[in-house]
Amino acid sequence: MRGLLQSKMKSRLAAATGLLVAISAVAAFGVGGAQAGSARSSAGEINGAGATFPAPLIAVWQQRYKAVRGVEVNYNAIGSGGGISAITNKTVDFGASDAPLSPDQFSACNGCVQLPWVLSATSVMYNMPLKNNVHMTGPILADIYLGKIKKWNDARIKRINPGVSIPDQEITVVYRSDGSGTTYNFTSYLNTVSREWKSRVGRGTTVNWPTGVGARGSSGVSGVISRTPGAIGYADIAYALKNKLKFFSMQNRAGRFTRPGLVGIRAASLADRKFSPTNELSIVNPPPGKRFLKAYPICTYSYVLLRIQSSKAALLKPFVTWALTAGQQFGPSLVFQPVPAYVVARGKATLRKVHS
Amino acid sequence: MSAAPAPDLFRSERIRRRRAVNLIVELLATGAALLAVGVLVIVVGSVAKRGAGALNWDFFTKTPDFAALPGQPTGAANAIVGTLVIVGLAVLMALPVGILTAIYLNELAPRRVANVLTLALDVLNGIPAIVLGIFVFVLFVNGHGQAAWKASFALAVLMLPLVARATQEVLALVPDSFREASLALGAAKWRTTLSVVLPQTVGGIVTGATLATARIAGETAPLLFTSSLAGNAVGHDPREPLSSLPLFIFTSAEQADPKLHEQAWAAALVLIGFVLLASLIARAFAARSRRRLTGEL
Amino acid sequence: MSVASRSATGPAAFKRRGRFRGGDALLYVVTLAAALCGLVLLGLVTRELITEAWPAMHKFGLHFLTTQAWDPNKKLFGAGTFIFGTALTSFGALLLATPISIAIALFLTELAPRGVRSAVGVLVDMLAAVPSVVLGLWGILVLGPFIVNTLGPALHGTLGWLPIFSTKPSVGSNVFAAILILTIMIVPIISSICRELFLGVPQELKDGALALGATRWEVARGVTFPYARAGIAAAVILGLGRAVGEAIAVTQVIGNAVAIHGSLFLPGDTLASRIASQYIGADTKLQVESLVYLAVILLVFSLVANVLAQIIVRRVASRHRAA
Repeated sequence: MRGLLQSKMKSRLAAATGLLVAISAVAAFGVGGAQAGSARSSAGEINGAGATFPAPLIAVWQQRYKAVRGVEVNYNAIGSGGGISAITNKTVDFGASDAPLSPDQFSACNGCVQLPWVLSATSVMYNMPLKNNVHMTGPILADIYLGKIKKWNDARIKRINPGVSIPDQEITVVYRSDGSGTTYNFTSYLNTVSREWKSRVGRGTTVNWPTGVGARGSSGVSGVISRTPGAIGYADIAYALKNKLKFFSMQNRAGRFTRPGLVGIRAASLADRKFSPTNELSIVNPPPGKRFLKAYPICTYSYVLLRIQSSKAALLKPFVTWALTAGQQFGPSLVFQPVPAYVVARGKATLRKVHS
Repeated sequence: MSAAPAPDLFRSERIRRRRAVNLIVELLATGAALLAVGVLVIVVGSVAKRGAGALNWDFFTKTPDFAALPGQPTGAANAIVGTLVIVGLAVLMALPVGILTAIYLNELAPRRVANVLTLALDVLNGIPAIVLGIFVFVLFVNGHGQAAWKASFALAVLMLPLVARATQEVLALVPDSFREASLALGAAKWRTTLSVVLPQTVGGIVTGATLATARIAGETAPLLFTSSLAGNAVGHDPREPLSSLPLFIFTSAEQADPKLHEQAWAAALVLIGFVLLASLIARAFAARSRRRLTGEL
Repeated sequence: MSVASRSATGPAAFKRRGRFRGGDALLYVVTLAAALCGLVLLGLVTRELITEAWPAMHKFGLHFLTTQAWDPNKKLFGAGTFIFGTALTSFGALLLATPISIAIALFLTELAPRGVRSAVGVLVDMLAAVPSVVLGLWGILVLGPFIVNTLGPALHGTLGWLPIFSTKPSVGSNVFAAILILTIMIVPIISSICRELFLGVPQELKDGALALGATRWEVARGVTFPYARAGIAAAVILGLGRAVGEAIAVTQVIGNAVAIHGSLFLPGDTLASRIASQYIGADTKLQVESLVYLAVILLVFSLVANVLAQIIVRRVASRHRAA
């Protein structure tokens, strides 16, 4: 009987010790983490999620805005589709998407507004032992993504790159597997340069890709391309620069081969200055003409999505206003062109509708 | 019978062939076991080798920063604390329910009812984690927001069958003589169960709970839907979404930045370390307590 | 089961005498409530998922299972390619894992000396403890490049005439990587169940065969396997269920392509993997409902597989008890 009691006490002791260890571990990590890591803000917190396209700039905004106003901005780059569904499901205070909301999505969101707050370009990146900024045209790119052109040394590619010796390498097409506004931008562009693409695939945040391999996030696409010789993929220019990936010079409608830089983005933004009723601006593949000689054909605005009635309105409105004005100065070093004045004005006007 | 010479039982052709086949099979079986051990060594070795480098004090105390400058230290403190909170809450949710379930199934239920409910638990065990993640999303998150406790709930649903089954097994090991003796002395059923039977099973319950905890600590799919939109700061509030190690690994693995890959390996090392350590301790404990229990017979 | 709770007179009569009735009733109610949780959860899961998927189920019907498109633009969704991908990866993994697992179980129960037995057994069980996201991480950063640089060209070079190896892998995300990862995951499951089965074979049967001069392999083939036949089938079904339901590790390495290829070195997708990669970013109602429809298919499959396996296990257990 004594043996029974002893073993009983031992197991009780063991269990109690384990519990004590666990509790102290949580306490230790919690206290230590709270002190050493970034402490939770006392001035308030807003949570956002969405596109990976503007994420590099939003990351800088998170640091700067906290230093200026003390408010903690949390942002999860889960893709434009994720941002749209998160604001619709009320799991975040603001969403971010490069793809503007469709009428169906507006009605599903039930009381949301969107306004453009970031302007940049989608670069088409590649991993080949070639120089940077090899020439590429829209129709050829569309045929590559349709699976009709399979090799790098295809005659059509060679023709627009005279003097460049292109090795015999299979093309690996990479696309975004998650709901992506960059996909929306890229496929919008392909729609304008290829009738077959428009009828067979179309544009959207998720499309039925005829060929290729998928990766999650702009960062995932960059990762796959950097690991795969012969790969082609698309992502915001900031990712190409960050991961030191080469990107094409795309031929615009004026016939020039342009690069996704501040000059090209600025010229492209002139293509659409008239807002749709829902603040949409489409600057893909600007028309030929003197004003657009230097335009890069795959540029896009990125939108912030807000609920008209939000408990965090008092924190959201100053943040978005700051982002539209003071925040834009941090853009150019990441190749985000500061938004034009009429975009700022429209944004401020839209923000007045937001209340708590 | 004919007067044929007796067959040589040790050197005939057939015997040789059969022995050869046996040898080949034994070699294949050994090879298969070595293959499995080899794969484990390769996987754990990769994690250890690549993760050990990034496993420094910064990793445990600093938080992620997407806009970090090249020299700026970042870490996974929020993910580590988040995992502790989420898993801890899940254990608190699943353990009582699992133990009570096992008590009912083993001590109080009529045979038919026990069979049906046990079948239900086993079927629940087989539901893929991602399906359970969507279930909890539809039930709790859609329209209301993510929260760490909702992630804990999903993990608790995953844990419940494991805890219940482990407790059931240990309860069955307790000899009936204990129950009969207690009842004969006039104690009620509830007294018998709580004061005589249950204390015998504490070791086994701890074992089962530890194994189940190790199992769910690495689950990623339910977290995707319930606690993926967490901030970078370290948090403890279960009403908010918290970061977690499995999700940290999942998102860092597919980034392009090699520094994030290193941190993913480090996080994997921490996770594997905890899971393997817990499994080993639990098994050692189980062997000892089982020997003690059956030895008492 | 406790005999004491069964007796008609004795303790039961004592109970009825009233003094402790409250405590017993309380225990009964509390534990019954807990035990019903499993059943309730099962019902809730089924109901919530079917309710959420209903609009898509209504719109596409059973046609969904054979439609190969996944096109949000044309509002056309179908599970065809994912069912193919799930079948390809799961059966491929089973094909590799079953012989290996049975061989490991044989090794651990018959062949290995006592000390090696427990050590190797523990190591094989530890393989089951590796979280799937860590296996996926290893798959992306170690296995993928290995397949592209070494294993793929070797298989393509030697067995390229087989349709499954007919293309050279250009990127580490492909079906083959998914099959290998799934194999690693289900080997510990099948082998641990088989180990218990083989240990449960009555020693007299094995001794009898040995006495008749059978080699150890012949004992396994003639006695162990037939005896454990149904249990092995249950183990395989449980392994299949695990492979079918695995979302995270598969989605990390499979390439997320909506296509049916013959070659394993091309990307593909499975039911669970598609849900994991697209659910967060699904921004139209129909897409969300179609993804939950995929989850319903997974749920139905796992229910059927698990019930089947449990029925086999129970029937085997009762047969062995009767024998």
